[in-house]
Parts: sequence; structure tokens; C-alpha cells
Amino acid sequence: MSRILTAGLILFPFIGLFLAFPAAFSWDEAFGNTVIYVIILGFINVWLGIGTAWWLMFTESRWKTSVEWFTFLPLFIPVMASMFGMYIALAQLGLVGTHIGVGLVLLVTTLPYSIRLAYNAMYVIGRTLLEQTLMLAPWTRFGLVLFPLLKETIRTIVLFSTVIVLSQFVLVQLIGAGLVPTVTTRLYQSYAGNDVSLALQNTWVLILVPVLLYLGLGGLFGIWIRLVKGRLQ
Amino acid sequence: MSLVLSGVHKRFKDRDVLRGIDLEIPNGEIHALVGVSGSGKSTLLRIIAGLETHDSGTVTWEETPLDGVPPHLRRITMLSQSPLLFPHLTVGENVTLATPNRSRQEAEAWLARVRLPGRYDAEIHELSGGEQQRVSFSRALAASPRLILLDEPFTNLDPELKYELQRLIRDLVRELGLTALLVTHDREEAMLVADRVTLLEAGLVRASGTPQALSETESTFGDFIELGGSLYPSLHIEVTDSPTDETVVLIRSFTRFGHRLGEYRRGQGDYVILPRDESFRDGETYYLRKRQGGI
Repeated sequence: MSRILTAGLILFPFIGLFLAFPAAFSWDEAFGNTVIYVIILGFINVWLGIGTAWWLMFTESRWKTSVEWFTFLPLFIPVMASMFGMYIALAQLGLVGTHIGVGLVLLVTTLPYSIRLAYNAMYVIGRTLLEQTLMLAPWTRFGLVLFPLLKETIRTIVLFSTVIVLSQFVLVQLIGAGLVPTVTTRLYQSYAGNDVSLALQNTWVLILVPVLLYLGLGGLFGIWIRLVKGRLQ
Repeated sequence: MSLVLSGVHKRFKDRDVLRGIDLEIPNGEIHALVGVSGSGKSTLLRIIAGLETHDSGTVTWEETPLDGVPPHLRRITMLSQSPLLFPHLTVGENVTLATPNRSRQEAEAWLARVRLPGRYDAEIHELSGGEQQRVSFSRALAASPRLILLDEPFTNLDPELKYELQRLIRDLVRELGLTALLVTHDREEAMLVADRVTLLEAGLVRASGTPQALSETESTFGDFIELGGSLYPSLHIEVTDSPTDETVVLIRSFTRFGHRLGEYRRGQGDYVILPRDESFRDGETYYLRKRQGGI
């Protein structure tokens, strides 16, 4: 009974959407912007998240504690609190209302979570096992060992950063100054304008982007693992 | 000399772990570093492997400095207390990964040499701890290293398995003509496996030499006897007489982990049984110590 109740609660928000799937999607600049942000930010989050977590895991620098503290600072302070600071800094640099400005604030918002996810995964794998990989050539180390070991973490980082990017409205609206449309900003506009058809279309994009990303990454990673393991047979 | 360490110093926060280590290990030698926990032996091994940096001093291999050379370019492999196998790969894939040509046949040959033939496709979790350690050893050898570092690799094994693996590693390293550096806190293990032994104490080399030489000069290093040209440290012996304190006894047989090694009779050497308790009892196991200055 409790399982049915739980399933019902999880599916409840989607029931209305399944009943009203849009007959057709009309192309909007916001779709392209959103997909590009998701892909670029997913890639940068994986790259910087894993790189920083690796450094934190292995460094003996006396700055380690300070760097760790600063890196995780955005996890403690709400984005809304740091948003205005970012706005002032980006305005000074002339980046307000630009794609770079919006991309930068979305990266600042997502990166601490990515570092934490990667660091936790490495912590569970263990420093001694990771050290064993240092005896292997870089390509072997990453391709045959680190990537397969961290593939689920990489997928989580990409999806987590995607969901955060897709959830940001105020930040994108403020830094984008209304000049950088994304699916989220369009969605709020369609709510305000009471445009049900547009709202439905953008909502489905919000659902489909992470779902397709999840399936796509799963397929790609599966092919990769089969290929590299095939080289060991 | 193959591996030369000169004045190696390492400090962790407020503690000097290594305080100027000088060590020379010739090619093809099995060398043991013996010391209590915290004496700096594992840190020294990690510095040689390139996993740790040192504050001063030099580490060279055949007169080429290793400082700044990344671990994968040093041609050094390391065996640790835990097997540290990659869990997403099969037993054989773990070994193939290390072979220079990524050759399955080569990996299968290495597995056969560590007495695990036909286990290429087995999953890691299907193997016992001792078997996993053997896979780890075959992976270390498959990388064709010039130096193999053994960081207390026998610690987590039961005595029978430990003895078997000690002999296996010693014999294979000798057969392949490799240089090996074993870190252990177990003097018995060092004497059984190594050609030469260095005693580390609080980050300094206290003594270095062959096990025989050290036993003469280092009172704490004793506890071994020589039988038929081989050293048997800290032998457990079975006393079949009923000796009294400090009495020379006839020892009928030597056993080590249940294996009979040979016979000892009065006249082959001068040894006494040192009592651990107030009295000896028939059929119990005692430690044998060479008597200083003869009987």
C-alpha cells in the first residue's frame, strides 16, 4: 500500500502533462540556448569537478583546507544571496546580458555540487586504489580505469548540473537582462501571459532534455566500456 | 648500484618522518626495510614510487635522478597490504592492463606462475584474499618493472598463506632477477625473504647488512638459527624433553607453520631455550634464541 502511495505521489505532477502532450513543437531560440548551456556546462562541470576533487584528494598543500572551504562556500550560501554580488561584478566586466555572463553564473552555481559529488565518489573508491592508477600511462589510467570507475558519478554530475541549469529563472533573467532566452525564462513568461500551449511545450522540453541526456549518456558510456574492455580480451 | 637514496628527508606538518636516509641497493637484490610503525619505512617506499615528494635529498636509479619523474615513467610497481585490484575488471583484465602489449596470453602466463591458471575470466569478488594478493603480485610483475616495492604485502594473510606467498614472491623475484624492496615490521619475514636488511628507527637508518651480520650486532634482531645453510628466524620448536630453566635441551624436530623442517641434535650448534614462563612443559612451543658467547 505504502509503495502504491509513494508511486502515486511521484507520478502525480506528471499525470496532467501526460494527458496534454503537445501535438507539435515549434522551434524557439530558447531551446538552442538551453541545450548549448546544458552541454557546455555539463562538460565543464565534469572537467573541473573531477580535476578539483582529484587535487583535493591528493594535494599536501597547506592551502588545501582554505581552498576546500572556499570551493564549498556556495553550498552554504543560497544563490539568491550571492546573486547580486555576481551581478555587480559581471556588470563591471560588461558581461550582463551576454551568453558568457549567463554561462558563468550558471557554472558558479553548479560547480560546488560537482566537486562535492566527485570528491565523495573518489573518497569511496579510496585513495590507495586511485594511487594504483598513477602507475599506469595516462590514457590507460583514464580510459580503462578512472572513467569506468567514475562513470556513474560523471553521469550524476551532468544530470545534476543540467537540472540546476534548467531550474534557474531569476539568475538567468537578472544576468541575462532579458536578452538571453532559455526554456525556463520562456516558461515564466508563458505563465505570466497565460499561454497554456507555450507553457506545455516548454515544460515538456524541461522534462525531455534530462531524460534524453540520461539515456544518451548511458548508451555512450556503455559503448565506451565495451570498447575499452574489448582491448583487454 | 641500481637504487641510491641520498640524504632523503621528509617532514609532515610538525614531524620529521625521514631524517636523512642514505641507502644503496644493488641490482637483483631483495632488500628489506624493517622498523616499527611510524619509523618512516612506508613513506620512503612511497617516495621511491613517486607517490610522495621529499623535502630534500636525492633518489636515483642507475645514476639517473628520479625526482620529478611521474610514477608511470619510473618502471616501478608496488604491492600493498590490500590487493587493490580494479573491481570493474576481471582477474585477467587486471593483469592484461599492466602488460606492455595488452596481451591476454601474457596475462594468462603470469596468472599461471602465481598458481592461478584458468582464472582469467573470474570476477575479483570470487577470489579469496590470498588469491587476490597473488593476482596483484602477477599484475605488478606483468608490468615488467625494474624495481618492485612490497609494502607489507603479507600482513592480512593467515600464517599458512603468508608463508606460501613469501616463498612464491621471493622465488619469482629471484628467478626474474628483479630488484625488490620489502617493507615490514616483521623481522622473521625480512630474514626469510631478503638478501640484506636495513633497520629504520625514527626516520634514520640504524643498521644495514645481511641478516646474519645484523644478528651478530643487533641484539633486538636476534631470534634465529641457521640450519643446513638456511636461516630460520624465530623458529617455533617442539620440546619433547622436560627441561628446566636455562637448560640445554635436545630438540628433536623443527616445525614452521606445521611444516617439518629438519632435525637438530646436541653438537650441531649451541643453543638454549629461553623461558617465556616460569617453567617448561612437555609438548609446548617455545622460541629458540642463539646463546651469546656459547654455552
